[in-house]
Amino acid sequence: MATKATTPPQADPALTERLRQEVERAVQRGLKGMELLGAPPPAVGRTPKTMLHRRGTLELVHYHAMADEVYRIPLLIVMAPTNKGYILDLTPGQSLIEFLLKRGYDVYMIDWNPPTMSERDLKLENYTLDFIPDCIRRVQQDSGETDVNLVGYCAGGMLSVIYQSLHPDGPVKNLACFTTPIDYSKMELFRAMSSEKAFDLDAFVEKNGVIPADVVASGFEALRPASRIAGQVKLWDNLWNDQFVKGYRMMERWGNETLPLPGGYFKQTTKDLLRDNALYEGTLRIGGQLVELEKITVPLLHVVAQYDHIVPPDCAKPLVERVGSTDKEEVVLPGGHVSIAAGANAVKRMWPKLDAWLEGRSL
Amino acid sequence: MASSLFPDPLQMWRDAVTKLENDANTLAAGSMKSPEVARSLQQASAVTMGMQQVFEKMVEAYLRRSNLPSRKELLEVMESLQRIEEKIDRLLPQDTSVPKPARTRRPQSAVAPSQDVPPPAPAPATAAAKPAATKSTKRRSKT
Repeated sequence: MATKATTPPQADPALTERLRQEVERAVQRGLKGMELLGAPPPAVGRTPKTMLHRRGTLELVHYHAMADEVYRIPLLIVMAPTNKGYILDLTPGQSLIEFLLKRGYDVYMIDWNPPTMSERDLKLENYTLDFIPDCIRRVQQDSGETDVNLVGYCAGGMLSVIYQSLHPDGPVKNLACFTTPIDYSKMELFRAMSSEKAFDLDAFVEKNGVIPADVVASGFEALRPASRIAGQVKLWDNLWNDQFVKGYRMMERWGNETLPLPGGYFKQTTKDLLRDNALYEGTLRIGGQLVELEKITVPLLHVVAQYDHIVPPDCAKPLVERVGSTDKEEVVLPGGHVSIAAGANAVKRMWPKLDAWLEGRSL
Repeated sequence: MASSLFPDPLQMWRDAVTKLENDANTLAAGSMKSPEVARSLQQASAVTMGMQQVFEKMVEAYLRRSNLPSRKELLEVMESLQRIEEKIDRLLPQDTSVPKPARTRRPQSAVAPSQDVPPPAPAPATAAAKPAATKSTKRRSKT
């Protein structure tokens, strides 16, 4: 009797490969998860720099040049008072600062330290009529140049815009802003959280003096409450991936190091900007002077993030519409509030754009 | 990798996590627009902060009885140290090892050699051709 040979059923090679990969990742997750528990905080902001000046919450640093020749006009970056400036200098290859230095810019940064109780009454006046002008003078002295280019990120952009509208004939030659809020009526969630019906601002500030960092951070988190938990789940899923873990931990550290805010600054931004929308309405008074965006006439670049949940594009767009500059440009790039300045998309999109805009204006 | 006949359950789970996150955020954002929700959140936040402050006062009282410094007192010492450090910083000589390259850089696109166009003549003495600012000409101002 003839027997018929039967071939065994063929295993799905893709399925086999997937299973092998998942088992490997599961093992890696276990090993790297244990390592992570005892790991020190990730190193950030390692680009060599010199602290030129420190006065309480204010800190001015000068990054060491990385090019043989630099552009004539120095670049002063103003960071938002809510966060540390190392978001722009996370790690080599993911650092806007490093990129600018290698492209031949002489870079300075106004970074902020946690304000002390003695600084509880600092207001927008202190930031725009004292801190920024003081730092500009120091940059002029250190660089030996009269002209300065100003770059502001988020609330740092808002402070730069207020400064420039109050000093239209000052030393600033060009102004570049990232995700800078102007029309606060479009920040619907922040407005809802800070409305008069929601809480007693005066009592809150009086009680706290300096607004604790966790209150500031929870305000940002409330905009996307599910993201923290989802982030933890994604971290576990990607524990096998060293690059992902490194990036996640750097961003987590940055988020955890959100800064407290002086009560005076918090009160003024909540009342005048968020509730009364005074910057957009043209009714904001700083040191008795009216802040008029039309007075800004220097060349302006505004980079807006398309998917920004903190400063939505509609909130940022009036800047270019309202300033008096003839040389002005708004660029809307795909990305969120942070990824527009730090991250893979920033490397590909925003940094080259900023460089292309600045290089001819830094001579 | 060749495509499998079987769906990937882990990828489906990852997609579900992302969708759940987006939906939850959208829902929360919609809820936050309601004044009642915003007020409730603020009240909850105020209660939490109030409890924290009561707890901190209790701890402070305990530390005082134990003759130990409180966090507030340590912060005051830290602020004093910071002020002293700032004053020392102003007195210290400047770091002369910081590189100070010439401020003569031109955009690479402007100086890129071209086969058709001859190299431009040397630029006249403008602000762009200022000599390098040397460290010796600068000083830190005191405040």
